Amino acid sequence: MAKYVLTRVRQSVITLILVSIVVFAGIRALPGDPALALAGEERSPAALAAIRAEYGLDDNIVIQYGRFIGHALQGDLGTSSRTGLPVADAIGQALPVTLELAALSLLLAIVLGIGAGVVAAVRRGRPAEWIANGLALLGLSVPTFWLGIVLVLAFAIVVPVFAASGFVPFGTDPIDNLRRMVLPAIVLGSGLAAVVMRQTRAAMLDSLSADYVRTARAKGLSRREVVGGHALRNSLVTVVTVLGLQLGHLISGAVVTEQIFVLPGFGKLTIDAVFTRDYATLQGVVLCTSAAYIFINLLVDVAYSVIDPRIRLGGAR
Amino acid sequence: MLSTTAGCGSLQSSATEVGGERMTDDRPVRDGGTLTVALNADPDKLDPSLAQTLVGRTVFAGMCEKLYDVDEAGKVVPQLATALPKTSADGRTVTFSVRKGLKFSDGTSLDAAAVVTSLLRHRDLPGSARATELTPLKSAEATGAYAVKLTLKQAYVPLTAVLADRSGMVMSPAALKKYGKNFTNHPSCVGPFKFVERVGGDRIVLAKDPNYYDARDVHLDKVIYKPIPDGSVRLANLRSGDIQVGDQMVPVDVKSALTDNKLQLFNSPSLGYQGIGINVGNVKGLGQAPGHVDSPLANDVRVREAFELSIDRALINKVVFQGMYEPACGPISPESALAPGVKASQCPGRDVAKAKRLLKQAGVKTPVHVELKTSTTPEWSRIGQVIQAMAKDAGFAVTLRPTEYATMLEETDDGHYQAFNSGWSGRLDPDGNIASFLQTKGAMNAYGLSDDKIDALIERGRAEADPAERAKIYGELTRRANDAHALIYLYRQKNYVVAGQDVAGVRVYGDGLIRVKNAGYAK
Repeated sequence: MAKYVLTRVRQSVITLILVSIVVFAGIRALPGDPALALAGEERSPAALAAIRAEYGLDDNIVIQYGRFIGHALQGDLGTSSRTGLPVADAIGQALPVTLELAALSLLLAIVLGIGAGVVAAVRRGRPAEWIANGLALLGLSVPTFWLGIVLVLAFAIVVPVFAASGFVPFGTDPIDNLRRMVLPAIVLGSGLAAVVMRQTRAAMLDSLSADYVRTARAKGLSRREVVGGHALRNSLVTVVTVLGLQLGHLISGAVVTEQIFVLPGFGKLTIDAVFTRDYATLQGVVLCTSAAYIFINLLVDVAYSVIDPRIRLGGAR
Repeated sequence: MLSTTAGCGSLQSSATEVGGERMTDDRPVRDGGTLTVALNADPDKLDPSLAQTLVGRTVFAGMCEKLYDVDEAGKVVPQLATALPKTSADGRTVTFSVRKGLKFSDGTSLDAAAVVTSLLRHRDLPGSARATELTPLKSAEATGAYAVKLTLKQAYVPLTAVLADRSGMVMSPAALKKYGKNFTNHPSCVGPFKFVERVGGDRIVLAKDPNYYDARDVHLDKVIYKPIPDGSVRLANLRSGDIQVGDQMVPVDVKSALTDNKLQLFNSPSLGYQGIGINVGNVKGLGQAPGHVDSPLANDVRVREAFELSIDRALINKVVFQGMYEPACGPISPESALAPGVKASQCPGRDVAKAKRLLKQAGVKTPVHVELKTSTTPEWSRIGQVIQAMAKDAGFAVTLRPTEYATMLEETDDGHYQAFNSGWSGRLDPDGNIASFLQTKGAMNAYGLSDDKIDALIERGRAEADPAERAKIYGELTRRANDAHALIYLYRQKNYVVAGQDVAGVRVYGDGLIRVKNAGYAK
């Protein structure tokens, strides 16, 4: 087990280094001069030259990368060229917001998605399955922006149960935190819940028709034991894979939700950085997101090996 | 020039009130409370020397007073200075005094030396966005504890207006010494509110400054500025009460806000403009000598005139902005107190027959192909489509190329374009709306325009102290600029600010800034 984990960690570090190179080169390949974007309306050749000099934009890309990675290894992700705030601080402030949003969305997706998927599979061909399928279709089809605006109108303006925007840390005021996070979590989590529901349903249908389930039934196990202990457990490998992949999307893809609910998370930070060509912030954000993505994949792989030991053995060979 | 209409009635579904001007609400307010102001973008650096954005100016309005300010009539009035500056006969020496007993938010005192330190920093700091407008400043010295003398390289009349903007903001020398370039994260000026914290992309928090000289007229405990780029999200937050003031609301959202009796509207004319820039000589990039651009629009001024004549400004205003902006046909707002520009009603109308005649005279093959780069905003997408349809009638085939902001800046500055949407948020002094764009060596002359007479008029306008004579110069400048048809002015935005009905004392002037010094919750 330890050897398997070590191999996966080593692979992850190599991936991260490759990602940092691609990210660095990719950001610089974007059209639009960051000095111009920074200087905005009141640009003059002297001001542009000063901006380029200050942020080392005149240097060779290899030198720029070396400087970036050298600082990053010391925990210094640079300073935002737009706001002058340290990038590490900005990430430190944005990360808890996105993580909480992702966690709540994931919780929602797990509870609703797995629950509805199991019900749909067990109640195949009955109204419960049609309802679950219908809701999943809705969850996949409704645009995030539209759903967000509708929820704000319904639950922050007409019936003001939740807040329309903003973030308050859970530690500062748990009630206010949830008041602000429930709607974004529903918006972000609904699509994922739909995906999870469909995957769970499909995997459960496979499991329920498998020989071991028939054997379990023949042994006289209760319906709960058959469904929960046998069929669901074996279906979870597929579901965990989907969840792992989707969690990465949750962290990097919360852009729209964070814009609608004015949440100062990673998505918002990324968008602002892209439009202002704030290289330092963009690099920091993308690198951290990539690291999170790689880390989550690592966790998923480890989780597989716990759920299904055959994967561990295969990976260790 | 600008009228102030105080009042507190809700402006529900009243087209006439939308068309009017309402810059403040003078109901009495109670002390205390926090006001959250939504901005349409996250401000850049909170350092007056380095700041570039309009939204940043709104935040400064809450915490950094200037030597001079703009009043509701668009006139320059003293703020930290005791009176308007005195200028020598040759225009090269400017003197003024600063008020006594003023304290920065860090508790240190403001004096003439602090003013000199700030002015020289604005001029000399590498990357300063103020350097261009302070180029004529040769030296600054404190001639007394509160007396300042500025020596200029040449007469520079726009200086007073420049000192009514960020160049006139005085920073605490102690804070500058302590924080250097990191002043942006610890700004300290004289103002009704002082900086508390900034969470990038989320909020900037200011709190009432007990050191402020006029603290008894400051009612709020805190002001929070929150960037909310999407207009419909800003409006939803206004309706839910999560924010109290929404800045730069677009007409479609204003119309929607007017249906809610919990909201009220402020508006003022803006000093800026929006139009279409045409590449007439930018072949080597900004700052380089103009050359020959091979396109029908660049080759013949008659083709450009025909293009302009094909456009109906009033129709754009009606179709895209519900008639809530103003057609424009010059760089200077007719509301400018210093040298009023052409009124919207005097803008030339659409004349397709003349446009066709001009194209025939020019001998160009129709349809004339024009590629128009536009911003990726919904507004410019619609404007582009309207222009496309109108220009087609005259013999133009317009292709629209929506281009993201930073990319558009780079491409247009490099001269890689035929036509693009060119806008400016506006400055109080007409020079600030003209020189950088239309002068041959202008820092933002992306059009490659080069006209000796325009250049000479710009220099004369800067040196002319007599307001009547100046107005004549800018009138002539506008005519010559329009004859060149390198920048087709289309419309002037209005500053629409929506606030909760329970908020009073917010001021919205022609410079587009929201002033919260006297704001508070109505009694």
